Amino acid sequence: MLLGESRLVGALKQAARESPADQTLLAVQREGRTTLRFANGRIHQNLHEEEVTVWVKVAHGGRAGVATTSSLKHSSLEKALEAAIAIAHLSGKATVPAFSASPPDQPTPRLTTYFPETVHRSLTEIVRLLRSLSNRSQKAGLGLAGSFVQGESELAVAGSQGLVQYQPFSVGGLRLVATKGKSSGFAAQAFRDINTLETEALLERALDFCRRNKDPRPLRLGKYDVLLEPEAVAELVEWLSAIGFGAKQVQERTSFMTGRMGDRIMGKSISIYDDGSDPRGLAVPFDLEGIPKQRVDLIVEGKAEGIVYDSQHGKIYHRPSTGHALPYDEFEGPLASNLLMAPGQAPRGEMLKRMGKGLWITRFHYVSGLLNTQEALMTGLTRDGTFVVKKGKVAGAVKNLRFTQSILEAFSNVLAVSREQHLIGDPAQGFSSVVTPALLIKDFTFTGQTT
Amino acid sequence: MASPKIQHLLTESCKFLKRRGVDYADVRWVEQLHEELVVQNLQLQHVSHSTSEGVSIRVLYRGAWGHASCCRVDGEGLKQTAEKAIEMARAVALDAPGKVKLHPVPPVQARYRSPLEVDPFQVEMQKKLDYLMWACQILKDHSHIKTATAMLEFFRTDKLFCSTDGALIEQQVTESGGTIEATAALDHEVQKRSFPSNGSCLAQAGYEYVKGLDFVGEAARIRKEAVALLRAKECPSGTTTVLLMPDQMILQIHESCGHPVELDRALGLELSFAGGSFLTPDLLGKFRYGNKRVNITADATVPLGCGTFAYDDEGVPAQRVPIIREGIFVEYLSSRESAAAIGRTSSGAMRADGWNSIPIVRMTNVNLEPGEGTLQDLIRDTKKGILMATNKSWSIDDRRLNFQFGAEIAWEIKNGKIGQIYKNPVYTGITPEFWGSCSGVAGPKEWKLYGVPNCAKGEPVQIMHVGHGAAPARFEKVQVGGKR
Repeated sequence: MLLGESRLVGALKQAARESPADQTLLAVQREGRTTLRFANGRIHQNLHEEEVTVWVKVAHGGRAGVATTSSLKHSSLEKALEAAIAIAHLSGKATVPAFSASPPDQPTPRLTTYFPETVHRSLTEIVRLLRSLSNRSQKAGLGLAGSFVQGESELAVAGSQGLVQYQPFSVGGLRLVATKGKSSGFAAQAFRDINTLETEALLERALDFCRRNKDPRPLRLGKYDVLLEPEAVAELVEWLSAIGFGAKQVQERTSFMTGRMGDRIMGKSISIYDDGSDPRGLAVPFDLEGIPKQRVDLIVEGKAEGIVYDSQHGKIYHRPSTGHALPYDEFEGPLASNLLMAPGQAPRGEMLKRMGKGLWITRFHYVSGLLNTQEALMTGLTRDGTFVVKKGKVAGAVKNLRFTQSILEAFSNVLAVSREQHLIGDPAQGFSSVVTPALLIKDFTFTGQTT
Repeated sequence: MASPKIQHLLTESCKFLKRRGVDYADVRWVEQLHEELVVQNLQLQHVSHSTSEGVSIRVLYRGAWGHASCCRVDGEGLKQTAEKAIEMARAVALDAPGKVKLHPVPPVQARYRSPLEVDPFQVEMQKKLDYLMWACQILKDHSHIKTATAMLEFFRTDKLFCSTDGALIEQQVTESGGTIEATAALDHEVQKRSFPSNGSCLAQAGYEYVKGLDFVGEAARIRKEAVALLRAKECPSGTTTVLLMPDQMILQIHESCGHPVELDRALGLELSFAGGSFLTPDLLGKFRYGNKRVNITADATVPLGCGTFAYDDEGVPAQRVPIIREGIFVEYLSSRESAAAIGRTSSGAMRADGWNSIPIVRMTNVNLEPGEGTLQDLIRDTKKGILMATNKSWSIDDRRLNFQFGAEIAWEIKNGKIGQIYKNPVYTGITPEFWGSCSGVAGPKEWKLYGVPNCAKGEPVQIMHVGHGAAPARFEKVQVGGKR
């Protein structure tokens, strides 16, 4: 059950009001989440978590300090404040801390992010649903593993100079992996509103991919045209964000965006932006500094257009925060985490035909974007279904393949972008997502294969 | 350590759960303290102090698991959490195809505390910062070094485990660690070197461990290597002999041995997220994983290890278990339930990353046992090859067979001698073929233990601290390549 705005904000405001620091910012994330995992015909993991995390940031004597606690009790908040102030007292060059405890200049978008039915769907009903999915998979001669998540979160921020933000969220998700021997097929959906869950379609998709994935054959390594399903595209876009769309990576010159602002670094058909207020994603209206999330165009028609800032990195670049701060106890810099790739014109149903000859890839596994971040050189493997396409039709399955590929180069070789987009998100996390189309890419490089 | 009040709350909770008719339950209180200090380019970048406290209750009720956790540590909070755990189990039990079976474990009453010389939380913050500033100053001392970072972190985890079988186990684990890294840039080239590993390296020890790492002494070498990489040639592609330093071997062991020997993965319980394992139960005791030089042990008892403890989060005693013996796959990392499923006993590897997490099968300290000789011997005995150090990137398939790992730096080996530096080295292989090509592991003098603080697994994802020990090792006919 939601603790509610008055209780959460009330606790933070009182602590901020009583804080002896020059400026104080407090943020709280409260979560209640149920996760059920199933495999081999039974639910093997079944847990409910209730969690509170409070972050405290103070500016005192021109220096900043950060502390966190897992309790909303006044005494715990006082202790956290004391710890943060003690840290701020450490010697070092005094600078004006780059955060504001005042109400933001920009308005916070009003978003509906809480759907009570998502949270209140009974456990018994969910167990029955999962049992039914397992039985149907079994009848089809396939095994089924997966997970179901339902939960609620509350985010609140309060500052000593009058800043107040609060937003409740619901989140859920269903992941399915159908199996037969070494063959598998995957389908997943994350949602805020459980009424949008398409259970039947997910089961059919997982079963269909698993059936098609029968007797995978080896494939000669090299360059192939590929049709990447949204799950595969999303993983690449998330990596691009992690290594390149934040001001810290640009400042440290490890980003592929460094020194290339305004340059064309991808194909004209690629536009990527971050927008926490877009309801097609797992929308979040403000960050943990209480700053409303701005829409930031990152790549516009292939050109490097923008990066995201938090207060600290905004100060370095003399730019306002775009509302992309991470929790105060992390120092990875701002992160674009509500990502969208603009759709194209190609009907999804026609893209296999358009490719003619190539590989259809359902998802990637264990991508690493750390090989060469300036070139966005990444490696990873295909998983749960990689299919050879000939004359626009699936001609059989191949063993999982390893790609090693610059994603700047791949996104410069895009032949078609689907007009349909899909939401890809992790319900266990609940605040980040990628909304993306499928992509048809020319000459994607494969360098290895599983046995 | 847990106060008498906490102990009373937990024992009362167990009594309550017994009255409610559970088959079995355990109640775990955890308090975690984390302090982190980061100095970057001679500026204090970040200092944080985090505390977290809560209780986890796991029940076996009518043959099914239920688990609930909360951060409200009082009588009412524990009662509500216990009821929630029973509710969770009841919902599953109604429709369960069979009952959960556990390998029996005698309940014990025990205490454990990490051995340490200097409590890191008692060391003045200023002293820690001075250490970091000094190292950072040396790291930054070149115009090509754009970012010099020095970081320390300290963890303290207090746990009290109480079960309806009568176990009462109190453990306090203290970990200390950190890293230094220098990022050099020139024109469009950017290269990084780190020490002692890429990301924080931890040990179950006190402040004496981070002092012993000698960041100040190592900083000049790290800076020089970062700058040298700017002008280095790309690592050549081809099939060759590869020597891996311990700070690369730890990742090789972690990904290609540690994860595939987790029994829950092998039983298909992680299929929906992390994947499965090629080491299926039918291969136990007979599959040739590597050649005879390869001996890998899961050791939860080794001093300084981040996977060291007295009892796991099911109350099973810590063990030293051969996993790969002379190249043969002989044991899994397992839990009471997963071990029972294949007719074995738990190897004591069930751990949760905090009070709000369910215990799952995790690595302890998964170590490559030392061989003989030295790194110099291995180099001297290599006509042509490449020596790689410090892991930079990692990727492996969902059954843990096809891997590609990258290192921060490499050196040419020619006619038994170290030659030029190479940048962007990566190598790839198939797990049993790779370990089957092992042609040497250096001896105990060069064996090092590393604490890895970021092993991710499970849904929701849990981040576990684990350990890996290794000496430099050599492998034949490995596919090496830089940028493709």
